[in-house]
Amino acid sequence: MKVRSDVLRVYQSIHIWTGIIAGIVLFIGFYAGSLTMFKGAIDAWSMPPALTLPQVPAEKLDDLVAQVLAQDDKAKTGFSLHLNDEHQSPMTWYQQGSERELSMSHQLWHASLDEQGQLVTQLSTPSELAELIDQLHRTAGIAGDVGHDQAGAYVLGIAAVLYSLALVSGVIFLLPTLTKSFFALRKDKGESRFWLDAHNLVGITSLPFHLVICVTVIVFAFHDQLYDGLKHMVYGEKPLFAQSAPDKTPYTLADLPKVTTVLAKVQQIAPDYQVNEMTFMNLNNPRATLRLGLYNPNGFMRGPVTDFLYLHPYSLKVTNSTIDQSDKGIWARTVAVFFGLHFGSYGGDLGRWVYFFLGLSGAFLFYSGNLLWLEKRRKKQASEQTRACRLMASATVGICLGSVAALTISMLLGKWLYVHVSNINHVYLWLYYLVFGLLVVYAFWRGAAKAALLILPLCALATLAMPITSLVALIVPSLGLWAPYSVATLGVDLVALAFSGVFFYAYRLTRHRVFNGPQDSIWAIPATVPVAELTQQTS
Amino acid sequence: MARLAEQDKLQPDWWTKSLAGLILGFTLALGLVGLFAWFGPGGIDADTKVQFNMWLITPIWLLVLSFSFMFKTGLRAIGYLGLFNVLTYIVLYTFR
Repeated sequence: MKVRSDVLRVYQSIHIWTGIIAGIVLFIGFYAGSLTMFKGAIDAWSMPPALTLPQVPAEKLDDLVAQVLAQDDKAKTGFSLHLNDEHQSPMTWYQQGSERELSMSHQLWHASLDEQGQLVTQLSTPSELAELIDQLHRTAGIAGDVGHDQAGAYVLGIAAVLYSLALVSGVIFLLPTLTKSFFALRKDKGESRFWLDAHNLVGITSLPFHLVICVTVIVFAFHDQLYDGLKHMVYGEKPLFAQSAPDKTPYTLADLPKVTTVLAKVQQIAPDYQVNEMTFMNLNNPRATLRLGLYNPNGFMRGPVTDFLYLHPYSLKVTNSTIDQSDKGIWARTVAVFFGLHFGSYGGDLGRWVYFFLGLSGAFLFYSGNLLWLEKRRKKQASEQTRACRLMASATVGICLGSVAALTISMLLGKWLYVHVSNINHVYLWLYYLVFGLLVVYAFWRGAAKAALLILPLCALATLAMPITSLVALIVPSLGLWAPYSVATLGVDLVALAFSGVFFYAYRLTRHRVFNGPQDSIWAIPATVPVAELTQQTS
Repeated sequence: MARLAEQDKLQPDWWTKSLAGLILGFTLALGLVGLFAWFGPGGIDADTKVQFNMWLITPIWLLVLSFSFMFKTGLRAIGYLGLFNVLTYIVLYTFR
């Protein structure tokens, strides 16, 4: 397709500058987002199996709830039941904290029944590893709050606006050569051509995914402002949300219907769904709510894992639903699709894996985009590259790969340190920021080439150590480590092993380029010039 | 394709075009969503339609923003987008 050359030039500039500004934070958002596809597995992997009490059959849940409510006051305000999930205790409630707040030191009670039907309980501080990865995904690790929102979420929202421009402009300035070189992956025309072909191929094939992510990220970040805009400019006197009057009937816990009754009711409302979670909230006041997490492997979920059905816990009247297929529920159902498209919570487990790889390919897109920027600005035959180039190369390697290494190391050491500390969550946080900070400083100090040769093997070794840790756990049980105890936790180890191979391969390629590639590149470490001298020249 | 004369070429005008796309593009998207909210299916009172309306703003806004660089100059971007804004809001506020 022909596009006017002046249009191409304008959109090429837009692509380059929006990409280079937003690329690094988006890289972190994407690779961490990939991992959040398996939050449940990562949490289970990060905690000793003994912390989770065994599941009980659904018909015994009433017995369990009755025994807990008879003896625990905290559970009387609210609790959760987890069904059909081997990684969860059948009943949990908060001694301290709540599921609505993010805290490093929640205290959660677990309860189950033993074989004789006797109540078993234990109190623990749950590992928030998967939640921390989710936070990294949402904020790129940028701490701080603006109002009641996270500063990092706003940063990613702004990055997503730039990302939308990068997507549209990227497509526009690719149009003239798209049909000719779409599937071309030319290795013989120099490094930069190969990277460009790979960048284009990944970008175009995953374009629908990227458009979805970019729009949803902006909405997630700025929905308060968007609602405010609607309120002032469009709705005027009309209310945005219909308020239904709360049920004022004075209920007591004795009125609480049996779990089996609730399950029968749900079966009737949503026959295709299985109940994963039942969370009772505010049982002691008029805002009493029962939230059900409903899962259908063939459905389009509103949440990261499940759809939601809200009932009044005493009267079992439906107050809200994301599965209502009728005309009345059509808007909520449509919006549920937007959420599901971001979360990848459709298409069951296969959909989850597809999103995992799409997320990684997105991270690759931003990383390769930055490398292309560097190659384009390369000064041919010069002994030293420009300052902007060196800084950008250091930032790309230090921040992108540094973040991957920091997360990997804190996951690995978290497992080793778990039994030795009272609260593992602080260890995760400190290790992440410590390793990340050190690697970023190192990248700016020693340059991109040396940093890549440090960080890539670090990533490879740390991921390799994860399955090895599991082997050690089997051989030396006295260390307090634990081996995978389910398909999902074994899966985490196997993915780590696969990642290790990828990191090692990337290390070998980078190493080859550093020592054998052209000397007029940001990746070269001249064999003749001592490194100390090189850094003096560049500082 | 014939070579374009210098004055026929797209002028970059980064600041004016970007601001036109960001601000006027946003208000235009909001106005168009307003038309959909009031006169689209279900009308303004439809249950939870506000959520859908909120979602609709962003894609329209981004579309306007990305193509506002197609205007020949920044001034034209402001002029056209401003005009569309005025028309949209006249319709919205007259008939709602």
